[in-house]
Amino acid sequence: MLRYLAGATAMALIMSGAAFAQDHDHDHDNVTLYRVFVGDHAEPRVTVIDLQNHDHGEEGHDHDDETWTFDTTGQVKLFGVANGAVVAAVQSDDDAVHFFKSGIELHNHGDHSDIEIADPEAIPTVLTGPRPFHLVDHGGKVVINYDKGGYAEILDGHHLSHGEVEPVKFPQSRAHHGFVAPLGSAWLSTVASDTPVEGDASVPRLGLQAFIEDGKPAGDLATCTAIHGEAFSGAYLAAGCREGVLTATAAADGVSYKMLEYPAELPTGETTGTLLGSTAIQVFLGNYGPKGLVVVDPVDAPSFRYIELPFRRVDFALDPAKPANGYVLTEDGTLHRVDLLKAEITASAKVTEAYSMDGHWNDPRPRIAMAGDNIVMTDPNAGLLRVISAETLEEQETIQVEGKPYNLAVVGGSGVVHEGEGHDHAGHSHGDPKIYTGIFEDSQIADRPLSDYAGDWQSVYPFLQDGTLDPVWDHKAAKGSKSVEEYRAEYETGYRTDVERITIEGDLITFYQNGEPIEGRYAYDGYEVLTYAAGNRGVRFIFSKTEGDEAAPQFVQFSDHGIAPAKADHYHLYWGNDRAALLEEVTNWPTYYPSTLKADDIVKEMLAH
Amino acid sequence: MTRWLIHTVACIVITFGAGAAQAENLNVVASFSIIGDFATEVGGDRINLKVLVGPDSDSHVYEPRPADAMALMRANVVLTNGLEFEGFMDRLIAASGTEATVATLTDGMDTMEEPGGGHYHYVNGEAIFHAGAHDPHAWQSVANAKVYVANIADVFCDADAEGCQTYRANAERYTAKLDALDAAIRADVAALPNDRRTVVVAHNAFRYFEQAYGIHFLSPQGVSTESEAAAADVAGLIRQIRDTGAGAIFAENISDTRLLERIAAESGLRLAGTLYSDALSAPGGPAPTYLAMMRHNAGAITASLSSH
Repeated sequence: MLRYLAGATAMALIMSGAAFAQDHDHDHDNVTLYRVFVGDHAEPRVTVIDLQNHDHGEEGHDHDDETWTFDTTGQVKLFGVANGAVVAAVQSDDDAVHFFKSGIELHNHGDHSDIEIADPEAIPTVLTGPRPFHLVDHGGKVVINYDKGGYAEILDGHHLSHGEVEPVKFPQSRAHHGFVAPLGSAWLSTVASDTPVEGDASVPRLGLQAFIEDGKPAGDLATCTAIHGEAFSGAYLAAGCREGVLTATAAADGVSYKMLEYPAELPTGETTGTLLGSTAIQVFLGNYGPKGLVVVDPVDAPSFRYIELPFRRVDFALDPAKPANGYVLTEDGTLHRVDLLKAEITASAKVTEAYSMDGHWNDPRPRIAMAGDNIVMTDPNAGLLRVISAETLEEQETIQVEGKPYNLAVVGGSGVVHEGEGHDHAGHSHGDPKIYTGIFEDSQIADRPLSDYAGDWQSVYPFLQDGTLDPVWDHKAAKGSKSVEEYRAEYETGYRTDVERITIEGDLITFYQNGEPIEGRYAYDGYEVLTYAAGNRGVRFIFSKTEGDEAAPQFVQFSDHGIAPAKADHYHLYWGNDRAALLEEVTNWPTYYPSTLKADDIVKEMLAH
Repeated sequence: MTRWLIHTVACIVITFGAGAAQAENLNVVASFSIIGDFATEVGGDRINLKVLVGPDSDSHVYEPRPADAMALMRANVVLTNGLEFEGFMDRLIAASGTEATVATLTDGMDTMEEPGGGHYHYVNGEAIFHAGAHDPHAWQSVANAKVYVANIADVFCDADAEGCQTYRANAERYTAKLDALDAAIRADVAALPNDRRTVVVAHNAFRYFEQAYGIHFLSPQGVSTESEAAAADVAGLIRQIRDTGAGAIFAENISDTRLLERIAAESGLRLAGTLYSDALSAPGGPAPTYLAMMRHNAGAITASLSSH
């Protein structure tokens, strides 16, 4: 096994010892890491627990799982945002929003030092404002509505993942329990009526309207009385209303709305107020009153398919890995698997004691979230996290958590295969955030064409030599465990090359070595998976020379943060005539960025990672 | 390929096991309208066909629906183009859990590489890069259409041995029509003056047509980001239009015309009509079948280049 230590943080090293000790055979080594953030019901506290996926039936795994604890202002509702790099803790009753770096954000561009499966970390900046409530994470933006503030705050997800909390205010005409969400080039906001209300009574909500970022209307109000519970799937946003479910989608000339009215055959007097959106097929799962679910299809008839639950719903979730499935926990303590295509319950199992839905909505009751092949459930009265197999609905393990574990969010490996395609065409797709960190299943790896690397590329080594990259070493030293000089020295070895430019067109790679072009034609020669000391992995995509100059290397091996077809935005290249020996090369990794990028852009790009 | 064969065997077993099931039609899902038309020609009334991405729709930005997953679940055979044309297909297959034979119809075809590692689509005025090592628009040459048809006949024969003779006969009859179409397009192009061979399109979907018939297509290329789509590139294209003496600009049924109107205004060329690239037209339109589509495209192009 290839062990690569340089640049790994102290945390990564600890994890390699404890959590990934079984990585002796990387053919069978599906390293998977899920990190559960749990909020206590009573105490202002978030506990973070690492789950390990023991997926080869190992016996008696003892739990020396890593845990961390963070203080907050009050009770939290947790959201994994910015591709799982950050967890937001919204504290509606205490007017605060804390953010945590999940620690699994790492951008594993190559086989070198940016490996940091780090501790989760509180971001020092805390947002405060009157009753923050709904949080929307879509299109690279994180938007928090302040229900008593009359505004929302918009954060950039990418900046947030670097700990930068820089909210932009989006004003609303009246404070209300609503949400704001980006859709195409517009901002959709719920709109409240101006009817006066007594005391703490909730402000009536009229519907949804498009605005520009400063809060000026950009379209007419789409009526959706008492609008609540927004979700995205495919090209659509959907929200529940008294009349039905309102859908909105970006159109060439703004936003196109459609009200899907509740059909007559649904039980009367109920509505949809909470929706979940599938990431794989364009479909929503919503509640319909307390004892029903509806599968909502924004395009095809029937728009609603009803699933009756045997008891009232406590919580529900969709399975990103098996997109036809959802899971719902009912108050009798039974977990049900729901097939969204058949619109029926396909399996049920008792997983906890009963938790009656009588009483306040915010009484301590279990919450569920997906973690790959498992469902993680908080069990507040038992003081436990229960890890339940999604396939069998059998309990796999329990983890004790002090206090009353309540709301939760899970980040980490999930097995979602949705890379570089789908509804989010804004900017380049980073694909699955877990792949970024080098945590993925073998089944997610796919052959890649040379065209992923097509283009005109420049070495960054000259920028290291002339000092342009110095801010990058400062930045790394501030964040990491080494000094500026140590980082510079490491990258001096890493980046060193006399091939200052590479062009790739079709199967032709031209290396410009000290100004002289050397050409070769290359054919795909498979990929190799390397496992690093931290337990995460990288994939080398290898091409071998079919013809060309004698001086052109027999093999080139690309490493970037992708594991399946997607255009590279930069890469590390290894070349030589011995395929196997190249795989052992871990200190020199010449690195190339598009020739069109200026030095400043490259510095920015590096600082951003 | 091995995987599909295994599935095929499973299908046959199921079919025989069901006994009377052979009286039932083959359930076929085609990923988009052009493949759907080929399937209709080969399958005739022995198949029930569901087309996922319908007329005038762009497969690249398609969002699969629950009904699609359900159709896949029921399907015996799923026909796809491959070459990364249908980006939604893998997750749809995963969602449906289908056990149908999934056939990639461009398998074994002599495909062209994408020079820049992909091509651009223009949706709601934005450029969207469609990455892929090979140009997926193989149906734009009639010679390739014959390969699609032969592949479909093979897949149908594997799935429904009893109908095989019918499928082969249908394919043969249709292939004769394709041969006639191919000859007609060549004759039309040959009649053009030698210096009138270049037109402009928004989306570079006609490289197989270009290779087969010698009409040169210009399109905006090499755009690095959506937002920059791009002043710079349009300028380069305008220069190319002047240098090559391009004769006309064509809109496309799957794209909006905003970008083309800009190119037309800046180059002084006129918008000479609509070409059908990645989808057929609706039944009442000028290109409801593959034969009609190719006749329409070739006719529009040659008319625009001969009239001047």
